[in-house]
Amino acid sequence: MTGPAPLSPEAVPALVLRLAARLRTRHGFLIGPGEVGDALRALGVVDLGRVREVRAALRAVLCASRAELRVFDAEFAAVFLPGDLPPPELPTLPSAAPGVPEPGPAQPQPGAPRPEPAQEEGAPAPPRDLPEPPPVAADDAMPGAAGAPQLGPDAEQDGPPAPVQFARLSDQPGAGGEGALPPDDLGTLLRAAGAFLAALRLAPRHRRVPQARGRVLDLRRTLRAAARTGGDPARLRWLGRPRTQARVLIVLDGSRSMGRDAALLLRFAQALHLRARRVEVYVFSTDLVRLTPRLRGAAPGAPLALPQEAGAWGGGTRIGQSLLRLARDERARVTPDTALLILSDGLDTGDPDLVRRAMRDLAARAGLVVWLSPLAGLPGYRPVQRAVAAALPHLDALLPASGLADLLALPAALRRR
Amino acid sequence: MDAAPPDLNAAFRARGYVAGEALGTALRLVTLLGRPLLLEGPAGVGKTEAAKTLADVLGTRLIRLQCYEGLDAQAALYEWNYARQLLHLRRAEATGREPSDAELYGENFLMRRPLLQAISEDVPPVLLIDEVDRADDAFEAFLLELLAEWQVTVPELGTITARTRPHVVLTSNRARELSDALRRRCLYHWVEYPSRAQELEIVRARLPEVTAALAAGVTRAVHALRELPLGKPPGVAETLDWARALSVLGYETLDAHALHTTLGAVLKLREDAQLAAPLLERQLARPE
Repeated sequence: MTGPAPLSPEAVPALVLRLAARLRTRHGFLIGPGEVGDALRALGVVDLGRVREVRAALRAVLCASRAELRVFDAEFAAVFLPGDLPPPELPTLPSAAPGVPEPGPAQPQPGAPRPEPAQEEGAPAPPRDLPEPPPVAADDAMPGAAGAPQLGPDAEQDGPPAPVQFARLSDQPGAGGEGALPPDDLGTLLRAAGAFLAALRLAPRHRRVPQARGRVLDLRRTLRAAARTGGDPARLRWLGRPRTQARVLIVLDGSRSMGRDAALLLRFAQALHLRARRVEVYVFSTDLVRLTPRLRGAAPGAPLALPQEAGAWGGGTRIGQSLLRLARDERARVTPDTALLILSDGLDTGDPDLVRRAMRDLAARAGLVVWLSPLAGLPGYRPVQRAVAAALPHLDALLPASGLADLLALPAALRRR
Repeated sequence: MDAAPPDLNAAFRARGYVAGEALGTALRLVTLLGRPLLLEGPAGVGKTEAAKTLADVLGTRLIRLQCYEGLDAQAALYEWNYARQLLHLRRAEATGREPSDAELYGENFLMRRPLLQAISEDVPPVLLIDEVDRADDAFEAFLLELLAEWQVTVPELGTITARTRPHVVLTSNRARELSDALRRRCLYHWVEYPSRAQELEIVRARLPEVTAALAAGVTRAVHALRELPLGKPPGVAETLDWARALSVLGYETLDAHALHTTLGAVLKLREDAQLAAPLLERQLARPE
């Protein structure tokens, strides 16, 4: 398609099918024929001449979580408004292959302060007034219609589109790209991932919950059930403390200073995801992005498409803000069954108080918190980086992760702790 | 059949609820497609209120099921009135009559809980399943069956099929991750904090007794607060609470004194208040 076209009822099914296919295959949306049918029914009852109404209807039907909303908007624009938002060109992700230079400025020496502008880092910004939302057009006709205005930011809920945020957050940002699992270390990474998952042992839950079999009689439920049988406790109810399989939540620092280590740890995260489905992966640089849908859709060893957002990869570091965002916005994923892995060198010039607050919250919710640092294996390493020092009281373990040998040694280190 | 008025947003606005266009469209689709709507978003942005207002707009009954940890299907569906059954049994014995099972487990002794009520109504009610993330996985699995089939089975009565499909709104604060299966059965909308202009409109609509200057000051301050990395950012409910508290205390503008005496109405953590107070004071010192 070369430019925006009027949205006619005849064109709707093909466009919806194309959108659904893109969302399903590229981003792992759980969209089946039922959802496509509902999307078509929804468009049958809204005004096809109003782009916001069309978008809102499709969003409501095809999206199932907040993380999917932004992806949806980009794909909706690509399918329904191809002339309005050209897809960004993506530079290549730093390769894990030896000898390939890192993008951007040279990697700082371990322990050296990161050469980031101070205002970019985690210190809380002074309160500022949000700009007033742009006036909402009386009628936002679909492009192609006479006098149709362009799609503006949704005054209700949408932040600025990704390219705007891209420029605001990072002065020398990277962008998405492709990372590949080299075939020679995939097997080793999978072995390390399997051993790591086997070594994860969370403490049994403190609270007893109803179980089919247990050690403690659940008197309340037993008596309640007995009421149905005339007071005869025909069926006993039990309580127990289940030892559940741990969920793994990985938060990967994709900032420039992590360099090649980030690529290795990303491949380790992918290997963990291949070994267990209960693995969630987030990546952050200046902004936190959920990577799990992309891992879910990637074939083992195939190139991995990274988010088309500079905030996630190759930019500066905002550890505190990213962890705080995880603790606040993604708290549903941090439960007593969760083993939280933070993969970062801890080089951050932001406010360590943010890291402290976020870690206190996360540690209170998670079953296990482990910080993996590429620097921790260096001789004479001391956890003096401000972010690491702030997080340390809330960690169950601080372990090295600078190479395959460190990753293979993780299970033993976890058992020793 | 479209039970909702053509301009749902205007109907909401007339009732003091300023809904964005996307939320309005999602709620319209609930009435048109008969699918449940899952509303997620920060606490206090008006998810529950949206369901209440929808019931008001549709002129139908709101049936609310508040979810909690340990809630089971029976507590949400029905219970037998054991005390009445026992009395009935004793009375029958006294008269030398033996009551049948059908008599004992009949409609007279059935206590309908929210879910059974919702599918027993002749006019489709709005069924609000509030804070579904607080319920256990088992209850969520039970909901899947109900939301798909619109029928439930009471062992003593058999299968009860819904007379009319209720308009279902589920809310979640994301205390627990909901299953993909439940999400797939629902329409989805993330309720975001309103823009400053929208929030000012909400305050003016809900609290007409609050002066324009105070409403503007409170709204401006709340939006500044949401920019900070707070543990518990204020929702719209807190904005309204704060404006109401200031108004009741006789303040007509938000000044430093008013701020210090009432900050507890909007910030509920001590460390949040410590972080925010000096920044708010600086903002108040600046001209509008």
